[in-house]
Amino acid sequence: MQSGIATARKEMSQGALALFFSAPAVLIIAATILVPFGMAVFLSLHNWNLKRPGRERFVGLENYSDWLSDSDFWVPLRTTFTFAILAVAVIIIIALLISLLLNERFPGRGVLRALLLVPWAIPSVVNALLWKWLLNPQYGLVNALFFEFGIITEYQNMLGSMPSVMIWLVIAYSWIHIPLATLLLLSGLQTIPGDIYESAIVDGASIWQRFLYITLPLLRPMLSIVVIFEMIFAFKVFDIIFVLTAGGPADATNVLGWQIYTETFRKLDFGAGSSIAMLLGAITLALAILFYVFLDKGVEQ
Amino acid sequence: MKQRARLRLAAIYVAAALVLAGTVGPFLWLVSSSFQYERQLLNRPPQWLPNPIVLDSYREIFEGAVMGEDSGVPYQSRIFLRSFANSFYVAGSVAVIAVMAGAYAAYPLARLRFRGRQVLLFAILASRLIPALSLAIPIVLVAKRIGMSDKIVSLVFINLSFILPYVIWLLQSYFKTIPMELEDAGRIDGCSRLQVVHKIILPLSLPGLTSAAILAFLLTWGEFLFALLLSESPTSYTSTVVVSLFATDVDVSFVSIITAGVLSVIPPICFALIFQRYIISGLLSGSLKG
Repeated sequence: MQSGIATARKEMSQGALALFFSAPAVLIIAATILVPFGMAVFLSLHNWNLKRPGRERFVGLENYSDWLSDSDFWVPLRTTFTFAILAVAVIIIIALLISLLLNERFPGRGVLRALLLVPWAIPSVVNALLWKWLLNPQYGLVNALFFEFGIITEYQNMLGSMPSVMIWLVIAYSWIHIPLATLLLLSGLQTIPGDIYESAIVDGASIWQRFLYITLPLLRPMLSIVVIFEMIFAFKVFDIIFVLTAGGPADATNVLGWQIYTETFRKLDFGAGSSIAMLLGAITLALAILFYVFLDKGVEQ
Repeated sequence: MKQRARLRLAAIYVAAALVLAGTVGPFLWLVSSSFQYERQLLNRPPQWLPNPIVLDSYREIFEGAVMGEDSGVPYQSRIFLRSFANSFYVAGSVAVIAVMAGAYAAYPLARLRFRGRQVLLFAILASRLIPALSLAIPIVLVAKRIGMSDKIVSLVFINLSFILPYVIWLLQSYFKTIPMELEDAGRIDGCSRLQVVHKIILPLSLPGLTSAAILAFLLTWGEFLFALLLSESPTSYTSTVVVSLFATDVDVSFVSIITAGVLSVIPPICFALIFQRYIISGLLSGSLKG
């Protein structure tokens, strides 16, 4: 009876309660994401250069049309695509190989899995510092190793020219992104029931056939999630560029993230910067949707 | 058959050794370099292990904090410890506040039925898709106008918004794993919703709350973009900003740069290794660093 009274003394409705509970979090998110997003849209429709105060005016879609007819948008876009595709490919392939290894039972597996968290925990800026040292043209470890093993005959500036700067940028970036992808793929692998493999072995399937016809299709949902997330991250790359290459040499690594940064915070053109940032956001979103639809279809088949 | 098993194990260990070298090798080289003399770093071939172990660069950073401008200690070394404290302050505050606000927001998403639940969940997740760079522009503009630039409180606030969606997502999926019967039992005993959350859900979710807090701390510790854009002086520089000041300065000795790098990853790496179980379970319950 007591409980009957307690419920009769009706508390708030579930909706009101939800509002009450989530209010602090929702307010913080709204204040720092939704409001700035609205303002970014507003800025992108204006001429807004801090170097020319008092001349702010509404220009409609002019900033956007300017970018779309400017090689300063298309060239960084192509660089971003190149970087993202290479980085995602490297991350996925290596993460898949490591996760297959960690899916085997062997003494020391847990230790290896835990140590994967070392690169993961390294902030991207420190990672850039680390690789700047490893790739140092005069004293870097990479030069030393390549030289000792006879791969190169003299020390080189790996970050000084294309294509080597792009390759090393991708390697440095991937190094801290591989662990998480590995852990996610590993969790995907562990959901595949072992008896499927056993019956395949009975049927005489080779290891390669088992990978191709069992592992890969069953891993596909997790694989597609990882590809989408890594793609979104790679498109937003900025930190490592800031420290390692500053967009150079000669714009070779000038990705959209770097272009937005220089446009906005060096040239102080907030209108142009906002509009190109919007374009980057739209492209990222479009890719995410495209991948989702495309990869999801693959799962159904 | 025994032969085969042995062969398999050998192949596994060769692969594991490669993975191990690739995973910790680059970082160990950074640590080894930090304990050498600057001139030893210029050796060809490189000196693999420090001999003797040199602590000069570490001393420089610890003593630099109290040295004056004319001490000859590089600017970055003198402000490093301050930035370290700032990072702890920002990351610690974000972890605590994000878990508190996040837990209350996650509960209704996990347990209550109300109109707009799906929309709210989706909106919270979708907010993570917007590139930080596009939000940074208006945020910096407003922060400067209202005098909130160059304050670490602003960094706490901004980081919170990027971490919160992630924490909410993680916690709501954790709350769902707590048996409904426990909650019902509490309700029958006359607990209000708030009491149910405080006395049943939160205590049972301690592992989930811990992983959320640790992840929030680590993600905030490594944040760079806003730390760079919202700081103008050592009062608000975080360690990532000072690391970038080190790394992009050609006048500072290699060993000082390297030591700053090592010091600034000691907290996250220790955290990651100590709490690895919490971190891995947190990461796998749906989410990412970025």
